[in-house]
Amino acid sequence: MPRLREQVAALAPWDAVEWTLRLALAGLFLYASADKIIHPKDFAVIVKAYHILPDPLANLAALWLPWLEVVIGACLFTGLLRDGALTLATGLLAVFWLALIVNYFRGIDVSCGCFTTSAEEKAPMLWYIGRDALLLALALLAVEARRRAGEAAQS
Amino acid sequence: MRLVPKILLQSLAILAVSAVLALGVNFIRPDGPAPVFAAPSVVQLSKNGGEIGLKDAAMLFITGRAVFLDARSQFEYQLGHVQGAISLPPREFASQYQDIKPRLAGKEAVITYCDGERCPLSHSLAKYLREAGVKNVYVLVNGWSLWLAEKLPIAKGAAAPMSSAAPAASGTSAAPGKSAGRGGICRDCENK
Repeated sequence: MPRLREQVAALAPWDAVEWTLRLALAGLFLYASADKIIHPKDFAVIVKAYHILPDPLANLAALWLPWLEVVIGACLFTGLLRDGALTLATGLLAVFWLALIVNYFRGIDVSCGCFTTSAEEKAPMLWYIGRDALLLALALLAVEARRRAGEAAQS
Repeated sequence: MRLVPKILLQSLAILAVSAVLALGVNFIRPDGPAPVFAAPSVVQLSKNGGEIGLKDAAMLFITGRAVFLDARSQFEYQLGHVQGAISLPPREFASQYQDIKPRLAGKEAVITYCDGERCPLSHSLAKYLREAGVKNVYVLVNGWSLWLAEKLPIAKGAAAPMSSAAPAASGTSAAPGKSAGRGGICRDCENK
């Protein structure tokens, strides 16, 4: 893909970092949303199991979150509303990460529901927490790269 | 545009678009869950009335979601009745229904009962109620005997005028299983 290579080569260093991370996050969010959109009831069960939202709001969250991920993913991919999308992506990952940590300390062993609603996906909570921490770090790095790219452009 | 307001505006736009998409798609799809979750009740009642089992009736009684109508005679009612039940023998339906009607509003079920497997009073009363436009009428067949056998809360004495239904008892409460008629026969069947 020479065009892609040229595009990346033409970018300033922080632009290139931001571009790469943004696309990675876009893919991640779009992939994460798919199964939840297909199986909203299963995802609602997972949301309820977190015991963080009041029960009446669990379905609403289960319906909304995947579509929020889709729109964030699409915005990150296209660059539309980029700053808002990056902020929301980071915020969402932080919320998911905190929800897992809170439940870990409450002793509630939840199925993550991060990328699949399947009941067979069952890993130790610490694995989920570690994975989300890594994703959150990537998102924070993307925000920082965006900020530095902006500063470099102004100077 | 300054960065923070810009981020806020963009975030709000993304939140709004995703909310519209989520609710819109869920509205269209046939298998989507209700946006507001409500735990289903273990008591599943037919919308068109009919008979009700003792367990369901007891559950509705405990949670105050039903009003119980005692279709037996006033005499038997005074000897003992479901706690909070209203006395309404079918023969007095025409004269008493208008007084009782406000008490039926807002309840999930109106449960009629008498005593005996073949007692027609509760069915007659249910029929009159349906004719009067009450839809959620359920007959607890052999209700009084079943209620006593399970030692569910009962009360004795005449009803206070328009006393409240369900756990707020009318009359004097009594130890379960110590009152009035028992058994599987019809004890006060005006239509026999």
